[in-house]
Amino acid sequence: MDAACARRWLGEVAARLAAERDFLTQLDAAIGDADHGVNMHRGFTAVMARVADLDEATPGQLLKVAGRTFVSTVGGAAGPLYGTAFLQAGDALGDAERFGPRLLAEALRAALEGVQRIGAAAVGDKTMVDAIAPALAAFELELRMGGSLETATCGAREAAAEGMRATIPLQARKGRASYLGPRSVGHQDPGATSSALMLAALADAVLADRSRRFAGGARRPGSGP
Amino acid sequence: MIQSVGRAARILKALGSESARLGVTELAVRLGLAKATVHGLLRTLEAHQLVEQDTETGKYRLGPALLQLGNAFLDNNELRARSLLWAEALASKAGEAVHVGVLYGPNVLLVHHVFRPDNSLQILQVGASIPWHACALGKVCVAYLDRDARAELLAGPLPRLTGRTLTARAALQAELAAVVEAGVAVEDQEAIVGEAGIAAALFDNRGAVAGAIGLAGPVERLLPAGPVPEAVAAVKEAARGLSRELGAGRPAVPGAGA
Repeated sequence: MDAACARRWLGEVAARLAAERDFLTQLDAAIGDADHGVNMHRGFTAVMARVADLDEATPGQLLKVAGRTFVSTVGGAAGPLYGTAFLQAGDALGDAERFGPRLLAEALRAALEGVQRIGAAAVGDKTMVDAIAPALAAFELELRMGGSLETATCGAREAAAEGMRATIPLQARKGRASYLGPRSVGHQDPGATSSALMLAALADAVLADRSRRFAGGARRPGSGP
Repeated sequence: MIQSVGRAARILKALGSESARLGVTELAVRLGLAKATVHGLLRTLEAHQLVEQDTETGKYRLGPALLQLGNAFLDNNELRARSLLWAEALASKAGEAVHVGVLYGPNVLLVHHVFRPDNSLQILQVGASIPWHACALGKVCVAYLDRDARAELLAGPLPRLTGRTLTARAALQAELAAVVEAGVAVEDQEAIVGEAGIAAALFDNRGAVAGAIGLAGPVERLLPAGPVPEAVAAVKEAARGLSRELGAGRPAVPGAGA
């Protein structure tokens, strides 16, 4: 994975957020404050504008710029939570121009830990952690079993979607939804939904990158750790 | 305890805990009762419009009479009735949402909510229940409770809601002392990441805490570098005015003189 692939990922997230904006807001209206779709869309629109201005940037720098932009443009819980996730992931990638699945796993882990430090959420609390934690576990399992970047991101996508759907019967223990007590049961968590969307976009970007490389005929030299 | 009343209450709570509708069989399984018993209870509740049956699926859901009861509960809450004008004024002065809450056990129940006056889409939070130690409303209420009641709440469970929730008893105790000193409580993303609150206590004619009123909004606006002094002053002013209306003032309201 390189800077072009990271850009493709961010662009894919922005496109999906634009398409799902009203759906996310609708989910949030049921158990939150009805601003998740609008906030995420506004934040990623700003991210794309900033990233477009950066000609030369490593993947890590791109993610850090995305994180900082997110914190400064998105209100509510999403700004600090996703902003931290991108900043931490960017930090974990360091100065690498290109990286493989192992470093990506470290970046995902750093993102999850950042989110958990701020939000104090565990799996089962009905938050974005319910999508990210199983996605990371699936990603790492796939690598242990000899999988590639492509199969690992696909595994993460599936696990995130499953985790997202599994939030429906849960009673929220964190965030505004937790104020509703048992009334939060029966609704899909908007944060887990946007996280699953980002992991699906990651798999798409990685697969698109792969087809582009094969179409171009030339395999890139060693893709890092 | 009257058994059938208890069972009817459990049916209402079961129907109220899920957005899905429940059939007689599901309810019977959940409550551990015979279907015939549940059916009889549902028919009686339906006659009083406390539950209603979906004509298509035959499943049951909560009925319209409950909305009237819920509204009656709020209307009978004297604090809510008296807070309407003060809360409205505070919201337009500060440009932020206003919450009015009362302490119910270890939680603050929001009895009134005025939207942030900026025409944005907002969701009514009335009825929300927030752990006392995680919100400004709760901390300021508990700070002015008598020593025993305060000790009891401090000894209870203190769940962590964010990375910033105060969950250590000693830290909370110090915080409560600081709240009394300042006359307001501040919440810095302790209940919800990104959200802040500033609240002051409301006192009744005996000088006891009746609840709290406060601002709720994005942390970058309420606490850009500590609490905005104008916002703190506006909250205190609203709390003093509302307390006076509740009959407090003579004798002096503890902590309201600042």
